Amino acid sequence: MSETETNTAPATFYDGQTPVSHVVSLAVSDDERLLQISGAELEPEHFWPLDDIREHRDQALRHGALFGCRTGGAARLTVHKPDTVAAMRAMCPNLSQRDVPPRTYRKVAYWGLGAVASVLLIVFAIIPALANRLAVLIPVEQEVALGRSVMGQLEGLLGSDRTGDLTCSSPAGEAALQKMVARLAGQIDSPYELQVRVLNNGMTNAFAVPGGQVVLFRGLIGDATSPEMVAGVLAHEIGHVVNRDPTRLMLRSAGSAGILGMLLGDFTGGAAILLVSEQLVTAKYQQGAEEEADAFAHAVLAAAGLPSAPLGDFFLLVREKYGDVDGVLSHLVSHPDLEGRARKAEQADVTAGGFTPVLSDTEWQALRRICADKATGVEGSPE
Amino acid sequence: MSDASGNSIAVDYRGSPTPLLKLGLATTFLTVITLGIYRFWARARIRRYFWSALAPGGDALEYTGTGLEKFLGFLIAVAFLAVYLGLVQLGLFFAGLSMLSEAETQAQAIAQVAGQYLTFIAVLPLIFYAQYRGRRYILSRTRWRGLRFGVEKAALGYVWRGMWYSFVTLVTLGLLLPRQMFLLEKYKVDRTWFGTGRFEQGGNWWMLYPAAKHVIFGLLLIALPIMAVAFSAEPVLWPFAVVAVGAVWLPVGIVYYIVHSFRILTGHKTLDGVIGFSSQPRTGKVIGLYMLGSTAASLIASTVATLLLGVAAGVLAATSGGAEMLDLDAMIAGDMPFDQATGMLAVAGLALFYMVFIVLFAALALVFIRQPLLAHYANETTILNTGGLRNITQRAGDEMVEAEGFADALDVGAGI
Repeated sequence: MSETETNTAPATFYDGQTPVSHVVSLAVSDDERLLQISGAELEPEHFWPLDDIREHRDQALRHGALFGCRTGGAARLTVHKPDTVAAMRAMCPNLSQRDVPPRTYRKVAYWGLGAVASVLLIVFAIIPALANRLAVLIPVEQEVALGRSVMGQLEGLLGSDRTGDLTCSSPAGEAALQKMVARLAGQIDSPYELQVRVLNNGMTNAFAVPGGQVVLFRGLIGDATSPEMVAGVLAHEIGHVVNRDPTRLMLRSAGSAGILGMLLGDFTGGAAILLVSEQLVTAKYQQGAEEEADAFAHAVLAAAGLPSAPLGDFFLLVREKYGDVDGVLSHLVSHPDLEGRARKAEQADVTAGGFTPVLSDTEWQALRRICADKATGVEGSPE
Repeated sequence: MSDASGNSIAVDYRGSPTPLLKLGLATTFLTVITLGIYRFWARARIRRYFWSALAPGGDALEYTGTGLEKFLGFLIAVAFLAVYLGLVQLGLFFAGLSMLSEAETQAQAIAQVAGQYLTFIAVLPLIFYAQYRGRRYILSRTRWRGLRFGVEKAALGYVWRGMWYSFVTLVTLGLLLPRQMFLLEKYKVDRTWFGTGRFEQGGNWWMLYPAAKHVIFGLLLIALPIMAVAFSAEPVLWPFAVVAVGAVWLPVGIVYYIVHSFRILTGHKTLDGVIGFSSQPRTGKVIGLYMLGSTAASLIASTVATLLLGVAAGVLAATSGGAEMLDLDAMIAGDMPFDQATGMLAVAGLALFYMVFIVLFAALALVFIRQPLLAHYANETTILNTGGLRNITQRAGDEMVEAEGFADALDVGAGI
């Protein structure tokens, strides 16, 4: 790093044709419209219209400044003396103007549209369609293996490392659970062996992972007001299993994650934006799946002679507990419009003439105490 | 200044910390608040600064690329790449599912390992393509003494060579990596021009092996003791001490290779047949500058971010005393779980700390790491026989509408 500017000449000039440095003197023409650039070996002299002179910013020059001319090609003028730089800045009116080549903005608009169309096509059309096809092609035993690895990760997230196995298994509770599963499973034709478990966690939630595993949280059973409500939720999750939704979802996000990463680059803070956008895409995928699982649940419950209204009550219960999400935010959550879904469950109910309860009172109490063998639950915040 | 009298010129570095820090802070901040869109303009502005700080013979380089053309190039690349990359990723994930099941035959096991490398192979040609085109773009936007640099349109030849040499490197377990490095460098350099003068990479590929000596030694320090343990009947402890030495030796050896292969390659480059180059950067200096710089940058960034977080928390506590009481009522009433409210505050605080740290660190890394390293390389470089520059004149411009969009989309762009 040189501490002093070695060049004492007022200005140096490159004509943009030869790599020869010219020490030049500057003058303004009589009509004050042209900058005259002349040097001993500079042949011919150069004349730059003051209106066309541009200053190139972000240069590492201590005292000087770099100038070019819109009509001057690759020629460059470096002015070293601060007072000459000041004079140039006072004389030239359009120094900071950026000369964009013609039709650039039109190209940006066209290619911008092309890029957006390309991304939308792949993320919302090609990948979902392919994921649906591929999900069916995956052999069941591989889906089961995938489900096991997903479950392992989930249990780790829920704290199984600290508290050990989270599965609740008091014998009477387990028997009640299996009775409920059997009544629903009798109505469906599924390639998977249904494995339903209760995990010791306070969230009011349930989910399905690839390969037929369904998980209910202790919090859900605790909040449920009837065994039919639990059965409704279970039927909904079985719907996900039969539709292979968890597998499709994983395929879809695997395809779109790379695209989003590409769009956002590795810029500062990009990871945070990436998470939000991924959530957005996933939620869009999932909203359709939820509606289908609801419809499936209504049909299975009706076939098993069980009411679907309690499933609707469950949605209202969740809404009361965690709130509904409308407007812009509804795009960010995968389970929007709980009230609408509750209404549909109500309408689908065909058990006006009564029904055989899914569990007896004793069995229901046993199911509610299925986690009694665990000391205290691990509390978590809702999804 | 005049090259007729002097036979060689040194490369000055005239950047200074303050303007670069201002530029780095401004561009990183704009990048964050525009959700990354400004990154193309940021890159162009920072390049303009670094180029103008490099002054061979006192005459600064000029970078003429713009953020807008980089942005346009990125859009073009996305339009082409989005569908391809999406399909590749989905296909590979599907193929990868088979890895979850146990391999029953050896053929299955081999197929599983092959599957893992498929992602890489599917995008490797694109990476080579993007690298060549990116370099062509950058040099087409670089000028010195008013003359343009330029690179010939020959990306496809680079792609298949790159693929082939990588394959050879792989099957020789990395032994021929210097050959790959030399041949690809020669391919690029021999197609690079300054004005009407062509560059040429002289020498041969085995001249790079002396630069690799510490890499080889470091690898032996790690491999031999492990073999000794594996083959000795008695449990022995001394090999682990040797492995520890090797674990330090190897990374230092890699930097030594990077620095010294650069020396050798630069020393064998010529321009227009007569002009030569010499560059003598030093391994110790490079490591020292890097370690010192990254320590300083992360210390300053985390200190400032912590202080800011403390101030923010203090202000929040001082101004919202009353409001907090109300919130507490709501929590007790059960409308808002207590842990959720504090959790949200904690997340907001963490996000603030993260953003401030990242913005500061990115800007400080320019000042404390990139600039000192660039200055060291510049100051150690000399251009020889500069009388030959008089024969060189201007070359035509190279439009390159797609700029380095592919490199940006694949994230394989130049460091700066």
